[in-house]
Amino acid sequence: MKILIAVKQVAALDEDFEIRADEKDVDEDFLLYDLNEWDDFSLEEAMKIKEASTSEVEVVVVSIGPDRVDESLRKCLAKGADRAIRVWDDSIEGSDAIAIAKVLAAVAKKEAPDLVFAGVQSSDQAYASTGISTAAFMNWPHAAVVADFQYEVGANKAVVRRELEGGMLQEVEINCPAVLTIQLGINKPRYASLRGIKQAAAKPIEMLSLADVGLSGSDVGAGSSMSRVRRMYIPEKGRAQMIEGTLAEQAAHIIHIINEYKGA
Amino acid sequence: MGMPDHIDDLLGLALASNDLYIEAAVHSWASADCRQQLEALVFAKRRNALLLAKWEHTPASVLEALSQRVVSTNVDVVDTSVAMRLDKNPNTSAQVLTQLYAGQRKLKPLYADFMQLIAQHAHTPASVLQRIAQESEDDACLKAVSRNQAAGADVLAGLLKRMAGKPLMADLAKNMAENPSTSATLLQEIYVQASVHVLDVYVRAAVIAHASCPQSLIDDAVHDDDVLVMRKLAASKKVSPDALFKLARSVDVAVRCAVASNPLSPKRLVRMLLHDENHLVRRGIAARKDLGKASIRVLQHDEDRWVRQWLARNGATPPSVLEALVLDPDADVRRAVARNTGCTLKLLQLLANDSSAWVRSAVAYQHKTPKSVLAILATDTDIDVLSGVANNPRTPQHILQGLTASTEADVRRGVILNKKASRKTLLPLLEDPYYLHRLLLVGNDKLQALDKWRLHDDPDSQVRFTVFKWMANRVCL
Repeated sequence: MKILIAVKQVAALDEDFEIRADEKDVDEDFLLYDLNEWDDFSLEEAMKIKEASTSEVEVVVVSIGPDRVDESLRKCLAKGADRAIRVWDDSIEGSDAIAIAKVLAAVAKKEAPDLVFAGVQSSDQAYASTGISTAAFMNWPHAAVVADFQYEVGANKAVVRRELEGGMLQEVEINCPAVLTIQLGINKPRYASLRGIKQAAAKPIEMLSLADVGLSGSDVGAGSSMSRVRRMYIPEKGRAQMIEGTLAEQAAHIIHIINEYKGA
Repeated sequence: MGMPDHIDDLLGLALASNDLYIEAAVHSWASADCRQQLEALVFAKRRNALLLAKWEHTPASVLEALSQRVVSTNVDVVDTSVAMRLDKNPNTSAQVLTQLYAGQRKLKPLYADFMQLIAQHAHTPASVLQRIAQESEDDACLKAVSRNQAAGADVLAGLLKRMAGKPLMADLAKNMAENPSTSATLLQEIYVQASVHVLDVYVRAAVIAHASCPQSLIDDAVHDDDVLVMRKLAASKKVSPDALFKLARSVDVAVRCAVASNPLSPKRLVRMLLHDENHLVRRGIAARKDLGKASIRVLQHDEDRWVRQWLARNGATPPSVLEALVLDPDADVRRAVARNTGCTLKLLQLLANDSSAWVRSAVAYQHKTPKSVLAILATDTDIDVLSGVANNPRTPQHILQGLTASTEADVRRGVILNKKASRKTLLPLLEDPYYLHRLLLVGNDKLQALDKWRLHDDPDSQVRFTVFKWMANRVCL
C-alpha cells in the first residue's frame, strides 16, 4: 500500500515586515519558513497506519516549491516518511491553489497511491482548496476536515469523521482510493528523533520537472491559474483606542466598555 | 570534529561553519580582526541582519556591531527595519541604545517612532532619557519616559516640572504615580495635585500603593472614603493597626480582603475576620503564616473548599489538623496537604494511594516522600504522577533511568530538571527528540564537556548556538 501526502513549506510573518516592490507579496527577507502545521498531522496519520499494519505501507511526501522546500521535506523524512518528492520549475511561480493541485494530481497519477492526504489548509494562504482540487483532477472521492480516520490497510472503504460547525461531527463512509484533508488535533504529531534527523540528511529527495509528470509550463503559473493576486497590503487600522491611566483606571475603563457593549 | 581546547580553534570552527548561529555565538570572544570576518559572514544577507536584530538571544556584541552599521550608514540608505528591531530588542545594551539615539536623531521621517522605542526601552540610560524628557515635543515619547523605570527620580521630576500646567501633565502624573523610580517628594507633589482635582482618585490610589509613598500621605489617606484608596491603604506596609481596624469594618469585600492578607494586621483583627461573612476574606486569613491554633481549628471546618485548601497548604497548620484535612472530600484540599512541607511520612504514604492522580502527583513531587513510596508511584500510569517522580531528588537513579525512556516529554524533562540525576542517567537524553531538552542539558553540571560537545552539530540552531556559547565561555575562563 502507498500513501501520498501533499505537504507545503509555509511562510510565517514577523510583527514588522515590508511589502515587496511589486506589491504582490511580503519581502522574502521578512519571512520565516516551516512545514505547514496541518501537514504534520497528515504525516502522523499516515505513520500511524504504517506502524499499525502487518503488510508493507509506503509513505511518500510530495511538495511543489524551490530548493528551500527540501528542509521541510527532510523534516518529514526524519519523522519516518519513506520517500520525498519535490517538483519545481520556474514557470510554476504565480500558480494558484488549483494549478498546484494539477501538479499534485499529476504526481499522484505517476505514483499510483491508495490514499492521498493533505492538510485542511495552509497557514500562510488559507485557501483550503489544494486537497479537494487534487481530488477533482484525479476524479477521486474526497472528504474534507477529517478529524478521525478508521481504515484497514487494503480495504476499499474507510470511515471518516468530519468536523462541522458548532462542534458537530459527521461520520462518513468513503470509497477508497480517496483524497482526505486532515484537520489539526486528529492525532499527536511526533518529534523527529536525532537519529532520524541525521539519517534524513543523507536520504535523497527525488527532483521532478513538469515534464517528468507529463505537464508543461503552459499548464501552470499565473496564466493558467483561475485566480491571480492583484496586490497585498495592510488595511487601514480600524477603530482602536489606547486606554491610558493607572492600572486601576485602565481596568475601570475596560469594565465600562464591556458594560456598554452588554447594555448594562 | 574534535573538542577545541583553545578559543582560536573554536573561532576557526565558527568561521568555517557557514552557520549564522555559531558565528553569532562566538562573536563576543573574537579579536577585532576575527570579529570583522565573522561580521562579514553574519551580516552578508539582509535577512540575517533582520533576524539577529530581533532575536532575544543575540549577544550584546553582535547587536552593537549591527548598531554601528546602522549609525555609520548614510542616512539616505540606512536600513530602518534593522534599526527599528534593534530599538525593540530587550537585549540591546545601554551603550548601543545611546549610539542609536545619537544616530537615529538624523532619521527625520521615522524620528518619532525611533525616539518612542528608545524612550520606553528598559536599558536606555538615564542620561538619554533626560535629553528626551527635556527636548522632545512628542506626547507619546514623553509618556514613555514617564513610564520607564530606568528614568530615575531626577529625570521624572524634571519632566513633570517642564510640563507643569500643560494638558499632558495629568497623563504624566498618572504614569509617574505607578513608576517605582518616582521619589517620595514627587509623589507628595502628585498627590496634592490629584487631591485638588477631586475626581482623580486613581492617582491618589496609585500614590498610596507606591513603595516610596511618604508616611504623611498614608496617615492622611485614612480619612479618604474612596473605596479605591481604601483598598490600596489596606494592603499598605506602612498603615497603622488602628487604621486596619477601621478598614476591616468596610462594606467593600476587596478592602477587607486586603486587611486579611496584610501581615501587619494584629492578631485580634485576624480573629475577627476569621468569621467574616465573605469566603474571599476568610481565604486571605487561611493563607496567613501567623495563624494561631484556635483560628486554625475554626477554619478547618469552613464550608468553602478554597479556605480549607489554603489552610492545608499553610506551613503553620499542625500535623493534627493535616490528619483531619487528609480525609477531606475535595481532592484539591488533599493535594494541598501533600504539598505542605509539614506533611508527615504517615500522611504521605496514605495519600500515595489516593484515588485522585492529582493528589498522588503532589506526593510524587514532595521532597520528603520516601524512596519506597516513590518506587510504587513510578509504576503509576498518570503523566503528572510520573513527572513528579522524575523531578523528585530522592528518586533512586535506576528509576530515573527507566523514566528517560518515557514517551511523554514532560516525564523526560522531569529527569533533566532533577538536580540529583547522575551523568549516567542523563546521557541517553542527549538524544532526546525535543530540542528544548537538549538545550537544557548544555547547562547541566553533571554532564562532562565531551558529553555536551556531542551536541555541537545538533540539527536545532538554538542548541548549536548554546553549545558554542558555552564552549567559548569554557575555553576563555
